[in-house]
Amino acid sequence: MRLILAVIVCKILRLIGKLVGKGSSLPGKYALRICPDVLSRVRLPAHIIAVTGSNGKTSTVEMIAAVLRAGGREVVYNAEGSNQIEGVTTLILTHCTLGGKMRGDVLLLESDERYARYSFRYFHPTHFVITNLYRDQLTRNGHPEWVYDAILPAIHPDTTLVLNADDPLVACFARGHAPDRVKWFGLERWSGDTEEPRGVYRDGALCPVCKRPMEYDFYHYAHIGAYRCPACGHRRPKPDFAVTELDLAAGRLVLDGDTPIQLSFRSIYNVYNILAAWSVSRLCGVEKDTAAGVINHYILKNGRMVQFTLGAHRGTLLTSKHENSVAYDTNLRYIREAGERCSVLVIVDAISRKYFTGETSWLWDIDFDQLACDTVERVYLAGTYVNDLALRFDYTAVPQERISLFADIGQAVEAIRGSGDEPLYVVTCFSDRDKLLGRVQVEKQEATKA
Amino acid sequence: MKLHLTHLCPEAMSLYGEYANLLILRRHLEDLGVEAEMESVPLCSAPDFSQADFIYMGCGTERTQKAVLQWLQPHAGGLRAALDRGAAVLFTGNAMETLGASVTDRDGNSWEGLGLADFTTVETDRRTPHDVIATPALWEGTAVGFMNKCSTTSGVTTPLFTALSMGFGNDREGGGEGFVSGDLYATHITGPVLVKNPAFTDYLVGRLFALHGWDLPEARPAYPHEAAAYAVTCRELTARLGG
Ligand SMILES: [Zn+2]
Repeated sequence: MRLILAVIVCKILRLIGKLVGKGSSLPGKYALRICPDVLSRVRLPAHIIAVTGSNGKTSTVEMIAAVLRAGGREVVYNAEGSNQIEGVTTLILTHCTLGGKMRGDVLLLESDERYARYSFRYFHPTHFVITNLYRDQLTRNGHPEWVYDAILPAIHPDTTLVLNADDPLVACFARGHAPDRVKWFGLERWSGDTEEPRGVYRDGALCPVCKRPMEYDFYHYAHIGAYRCPACGHRRPKPDFAVTELDLAAGRLVLDGDTPIQLSFRSIYNVYNILAAWSVSRLCGVEKDTAAGVINHYILKNGRMVQFTLGAHRGTLLTSKHENSVAYDTNLRYIREAGERCSVLVIVDAISRKYFTGETSWLWDIDFDQLACDTVERVYLAGTYVNDLALRFDYTAVPQERISLFADIGQAVEAIRGSGDEPLYVVTCFSDRDKLLGRVQVEKQEATKA
Repeated sequence: MKLHLTHLCPEAMSLYGEYANLLILRRHLEDLGVEAEMESVPLCSAPDFSQADFIYMGCGTERTQKAVLQWLQPHAGGLRAALDRGAAVLFTGNAMETLGASVTDRDGNSWEGLGLADFTTVETDRRTPHDVIATPALWEGTAVGFMNKCSTTSGVTTPLFTALSMGFGNDREGGGEGFVSGDLYATHITGPVLVKNPAFTDYLVGRLFALHGWDLPEARPAYPHEAAAYAVTCRELTARLGG
């Protein structure tokens, strides 16, 4: 009875919530009050896929959904990104019959790194995709190993782990897990690799297992690459699913040696989204041709890249994430490799839109030296934390005379409007981007580089 | 005038941008005419403290900290000898914990500390990340920063910060924070604590000059970005206190 009541209450509240435009966690919250173990009582689809990791969860989930749907599966997923247990409950119950059977062939969940263990107390994924663990929102997450420790209890022995072989910390999830229930995806050596690490810090310096110095055959980016620990033997496993050839400049890659893909976004991060989607859909029985058909020219629609006009400037907003240096470095590298004369505006105003902090140490993890090149004519720094930015730039090779500071974002925008016609790139976070977009003429929204 | 700055385990004990502390200190010293020589000592290599005038280590993960502790254990005597002959030492974040008598992890395993102080540290399974406003024991004004720790430290009688008006002290909310004894300085304030607190940098520069018997020049360079960044953070954090 409690189950039926929980389902009914959840469906009604969800309906009302949709009418008044409210979020999706409240119905699940009430359902859990009525029936705390409701998630262990419902009958779930044969495939339950969870995706977690620091960067690219949403993009990966969307691509997995598209591929599975093309393969004829009915997919239910949390597109709204409400990935704590209340949101997951809402999603499941609103797709349940009154008898407690969830419809659909696949339940697909974007899972918050910190809350996965609570969501998966009453049921567990058949497949758990873990993409990467980076320095991300450390004011809340502590550090990547702390996040690792938080995810670990969410992993059930029966779950098939689908892991990024190129991330030494992610690879640790396989330790103690039945080897036949671990599948690896990875990018093989390609021309963009380096022998030496790039970036400001080295999270791959020590082996995550034994804390002795680790060696790399090559780095793809950050600590992602082909690592091996001479002391304990922890090393990049041979991928079950691999990008075997990659030509980013031509926008072309090959999956598993025989399936060519044409990329609409020429970013190495997109390569990993594709790898995750390819691996999990192959494991769910989707044919190669079907999967490749969807992945070919796949366009992400999450609005991270926005085109606009400001005076005589053609502008591009590259939405980044504050407190996430990998996301920043990605966008800075994109600007540098675009190779056209341009100016760059960096805004740090509210560090988070969800909570307050004055923490700016993450600015020192960003490789702003990428802007020290001839094509970048001016660097505009703006927002409440403009002085922290300026101080960070004091320790880069960007010439001081190219840098302008504005505590007020409006003044920065007007100064740029009144000067020059070079293309403008803006790098900032979701928490600060509307402070720019409200002042310029937005043309079209495109998708991601991050 | 010449100083040797030693950075311990920069490749792994720099979780929150701590490497910047040395960049700031070096530039301030150089602007005063000091030739500042930097040495990085990676984990597992043998540190030689005999030439060091300033020794620094930043924050790492809990597991990295234990590896560092085991690595430095045989060199604790060298570190003590450096302090005795007039070097200054600054350990921030959970590097501070390694200076004490012991560190106990959340599973109850205990590691012997370097023994340069009497305090003991116990880790928990909860983190208390928080912005910090602190009252320095040694210099005027207010210090600001961030703390990202999962431990309590007991037995400190000479804290570097006498009280916090925001944040978790050594063993309690608002209590004394960090440790100071002679020219051994430690704080759990993570990130570039010197970047954020120009007065702390000035204090250390003053100490390094004093330890070598040098006179600080009358004319000191201005660092407007440092001063303004500190003022803004101070303003933003203080505004949060009001409620
Ligand atoms: Zn190892």
